Amino acid sequence: MKETILLTKHMRENPEDSHLIESYEKSNGYTTAKKTLLGSSPEKVLEEIKASNIRGRGGAGFPTGVKWGFLAENEERYLVINADESEPGTFKDRILLERDPHQLIEGIIITCFAANIKNAFIYIRGEYAKPARRVQSAVEQAYQNGYLGKNIFGSEMDLDLVVHLGAGAYICGEETALLNSLEGRRGEPRLKPPYFPAVKGLYMKPTLVNNVETISSVPWIIENTGEEYNKLGVEGSTGTRIFSLSGHVNVPGNYEIEMGSTFGDFVETLGGGIRNNKKVKAYIPGGASAPWFRGDQLNIKMTIDDVANNNSMLGSGAVVMMDQDTNLVNAAKSIVSFFAHESCGQCTPCREGTTWLEMILDRVASGRGRTSDLELLLDICDNISPGLSWPPKMTTICPLGPSAVSPITSLMKDFREEVESMIPTKVLL
Amino acid sequence: MSDNVKINVNGLQIESEPNKLLIEACEDSGIHIPRFCWHKRLDPVGMCRMCLVEVETPRGKMLVPSCTTEVSDEMVVDTESEIVKKAQEGVLEFLLINHPLDCPICDKAGECPLQDQTMAYGPGESRFVEEKRHFEKPIPISEIILLDRERCILCARCTRFSDEISGDPLIEFIQRGNKTEVNTFPNEPFKSYFSGNTVQICPVGALTSTSYRFKARPWDLKSTRSTCNGCSMGCSIELNSSQNKMLRILGVDNEHTNQGWLCDRGRYNFEYLNSDQRIKAPLKKTEGNREETTLQDVYSDLSKIIEDRSNKITFLLGSNLTNEEFTSFNEFSNKLGNNDNSIYLNEDILFKGFFDENIENAKIEDLNKSDAIIIWAEDLKETLPVLYLRVRQAVKNGVKLVVFGHTNSTLADISDVYFGGETVSNNFEIVKDISKLKEIKEHIKDKNVTAILGKASPNQSDQSLEKLFSYLKDNSNLKLLNAFNGGNSFGAFQTLGSVKGNREFSSEISKETTDLLFVVGADPVGKSIFSSNIKNIIDEIPTVVALDLFIHETSELADYIVPTSSTLGEKEGTFTNIEFRTSRIDKLIPSPGQALSDWEFISGLSNFCKFEGMSESLKDLNNKSFDSFALDTKPTFDNLDKPRNLDGIINTSVPNINTTDESIEFSDSFYVGKKLYGDKVTERHSKSISLLGSSQFIEGSESTFEKYKLNSGKCILVQENIEITVSYKINPSLPDSLIFFPKNRRNMNKLDFSKNIQILPSHSMEVLNVN
Repeated sequence: MKETILLTKHMRENPEDSHLIESYEKSNGYTTAKKTLLGSSPEKVLEEIKASNIRGRGGAGFPTGVKWGFLAENEERYLVINADESEPGTFKDRILLERDPHQLIEGIIITCFAANIKNAFIYIRGEYAKPARRVQSAVEQAYQNGYLGKNIFGSEMDLDLVVHLGAGAYICGEETALLNSLEGRRGEPRLKPPYFPAVKGLYMKPTLVNNVETISSVPWIIENTGEEYNKLGVEGSTGTRIFSLSGHVNVPGNYEIEMGSTFGDFVETLGGGIRNNKKVKAYIPGGASAPWFRGDQLNIKMTIDDVANNNSMLGSGAVVMMDQDTNLVNAAKSIVSFFAHESCGQCTPCREGTTWLEMILDRVASGRGRTSDLELLLDICDNISPGLSWPPKMTTICPLGPSAVSPITSLMKDFREEVESMIPTKVLL
Repeated sequence: MSDNVKINVNGLQIESEPNKLLIEACEDSGIHIPRFCWHKRLDPVGMCRMCLVEVETPRGKMLVPSCTTEVSDEMVVDTESEIVKKAQEGVLEFLLINHPLDCPICDKAGECPLQDQTMAYGPGESRFVEEKRHFEKPIPISEIILLDRERCILCARCTRFSDEISGDPLIEFIQRGNKTEVNTFPNEPFKSYFSGNTVQICPVGALTSTSYRFKARPWDLKSTRSTCNGCSMGCSIELNSSQNKMLRILGVDNEHTNQGWLCDRGRYNFEYLNSDQRIKAPLKKTEGNREETTLQDVYSDLSKIIEDRSNKITFLLGSNLTNEEFTSFNEFSNKLGNNDNSIYLNEDILFKGFFDENIENAKIEDLNKSDAIIIWAEDLKETLPVLYLRVRQAVKNGVKLVVFGHTNSTLADISDVYFGGETVSNNFEIVKDISKLKEIKEHIKDKNVTAILGKASPNQSDQSLEKLFSYLKDNSNLKLLNAFNGGNSFGAFQTLGSVKGNREFSSEISKETTDLLFVVGADPVGKSIFSSNIKNIIDEIPTVVALDLFIHETSELADYIVPTSSTLGEKEGTFTNIEFRTSRIDKLIPSPGQALSDWEFISGLSNFCKFEGMSESLKDLNNKSFDSFALDTKPTFDNLDKPRNLDGIINTSVPNINTTDESIEFSDSFYVGKKLYGDKVTERHSKSISLLGSSQFIEGSESTFEKYKLNSGKCILVQENIEITVSYKINPSLPDSLIFFPKNRRNMNKLDFSKNIQILPSHSMEVLNVN
């Protein structure tokens, strides 16, 4: 299989200076936005986005055109770009921010034109210092060149764009927690209902929250039409996606491909196969929150729906391979520790449950497990995510708690013997 | 009722108002859903997850928090399904894994929602074998509140209360996830006037107050419902005692008045009841020495004096008496043949107010229903704290707030219009033409307005308030609360034939007019700004009788001291609040020694004097108190004890305030007012409050203090033979040159504000020096 280069075209062709406005302009940058603002209409843009059938690249895969259509009418509306890319294994937004910030800004201009928005924000995770610096100077360049501010390209449109850095919390990637953080509050998810961002978002005003990759795709879609975009990939998963491949592969990295090929094909060709010619024991198809697949499930197609039909998710496009020598209890422990560390602490099951799970896994991994721990682990999981089904039901406010459940249910479903083997046979209880 | 929605809960059809929260709708129909974080008076946050229920949705049955879900028509809800039960059990187990389970030494045990709900919905045993989360316990977060973070279940009730209700968010969540804890900010203690409410609403024993800690077990407590008489708000309270000692006061949710909240003064100013300094037997002064005597002796001596009197007999009454006691004194005074000019109320700011048939008295709940609230009065936060909360609530609900200058600085912060130094002069006169102030006009013209009017400082003229009043009356649909804040002063206005204040007392009374003076529950020498005048008067009147709980600056001057019961928990009666709502005062504990109610003393004395036709029982006095009331439903004991009237009855007669119009003039730009915590004798004997009300200070703007060349944090107030070292605090809301004196702090009332006061820099560390 080969990559299909749309979003990463400019950065590949100009590896030295793709982040600079001069370079982006040389690649015909901002011409789509200019044409759109001067010659198109918000309705036409929305039509193209709908025709492209692009689905959100943040993880949930919600149809972008539909999301834009939900935005409630109001004088004041906002666009917030979710650049809080924190899902372990995911590093695709990073290159878009760091190496092609103007493509994102152009996407923002077109999006705000379509949604009649005058204030936009890019919320970047605090750890992304270099991407944030690049985006900040790109925004300043765009202002200088008249692409942001008043009367953009001489049109009627005004747009202000603010770059804001997070303070190091995974939960702020959850859109309502992000809005709280942006407002200067604790980064805790809001209750949905009633706080759906499209109705009551930033400062309680209707707000579009979109992922970096989604909005970076907008200029290509508008330039080449939604119909063309829709031809790429497969039905339900149109266009290209940047997958972040990591784990025990020979060539980890970001790959822009059309959705539809199998994970096995992806790993073997672009990923160069598994290190030391070993076999895959298990892999994560879509970020740390996603339930795992077994090594014998590499023929699953990389589409949103195929992965969902197999009870996991394509999520943020982070594919993590674990070879035959991996201690999966340790792997699960490491993921659960991450979620326990990142729990905001607001609601009881997540705050208490994730840490408890971490403690038990730690015990099991260090040879202090008890036979009763297996059922206990599953029952705690059940109290966070009743029924242990996928997509998860939850007793929590947001899906962070149930995310910590995924690796444990995967472990118990497919690798129970491995867990049992780690528990000493004679345990006094 | 026709607009109600029908919902199905556990197979039962129930009706509810639309948009009600599911948890409330179920509660109203008798279906209890367990909860920790949800509280009726706070915004829901859905954090504890205890109230999860199953609701049928187009996507199947979903677990939703019933505290954040509004009812809708045809909703189908299951609060008892297996999935719900499993979720509740799970949440409880999660809450308990890190809870110390130190119930045997926890004050909350026995009335603890965590304990109760664990019994009802919990898993029964623990599967947690790991080490629990540890914090240092407990840590003091203010002089009166302790925090045990190990017990805390992070429900955010306390943090929400501080943020939403009291508006001083001094406690917050810090850290995150499993490390989340409630705490104060560094070097900023939880110094809130309302901090005790967080202890009351804490669903575990995480927040405790020093006054109740380790004193009793809930199952040992006796309790009764009563009314707080700390100010004229009349908050509904529950008194708790054990072994005849008052141990705790809780706020009762009275929709009309306090909605469950109390100020910390109301909540904690009870410890004096148990003080060993209480007077326990009558005392008689002979040749300068005080000696114990008997009541018979006092009656006998006084009846002779009464019989032989050549002048009148005068009464100076504290405003904390019950309506029945005011009636008793009124009856006694009439029997003595006094004209109506013999009863004075121990109040420094007393004037005619705005009462007549044409003025509509506002109810407290009108604040929420008005378009705008206009306030010109003493600082509500300091003098009527829970009314201040109700104003905040109204503003939160969108009511416009207009505040007139200098005194209400915390309300000024949330006001829509604030008239400061440009409009209101330093002696509290409006210096502009009110009708030309367009900022006020847009909020009141032809709108529903509730005004809270009272004198901001004793030197404010009656006319200045009348000007504002008549403007409001002519231009809006006005309802009005008269901001008299002294205890049961509204009861006094109605039950006494005629009321005057300390100002009239100090100018009208002398030994030429009075043979015998009764000072009842009042310490004007210790606390009034007319202190020195009143002291001189008391010194020269031949016989002075003090009825009081303690020996203080006034009672120590008396020839006879009779120990009395406190209105708080030691007697029965009624209390009338600022909106003329009369409610029950109840007795829970016995009075110490020979202490008796004031009315009992008067009744005994009348018998000794062989007066006839006097009321013979509390019930008689109670009935008589409301003889002339306008409405049929009078707040008699019989009526008040009916379940529907527990929150009190609003009924009025026209108040009888007969103050003179003469203005008091201060020698300079002084503003004299009260702070919530002071140095009254009861406060001095309540440990919690005495810690809070002991500092002495003055307030002014930075530039004002610069003029006096103050820079050390302290200054000396000098007047004739008085020298007081106080600290000075910068209050940016005060206009240039205006200096605030808290008259209820120790010795501050000894200054004569009509004479010059020198303010000198101090470099000494001495706090107090009175010559």
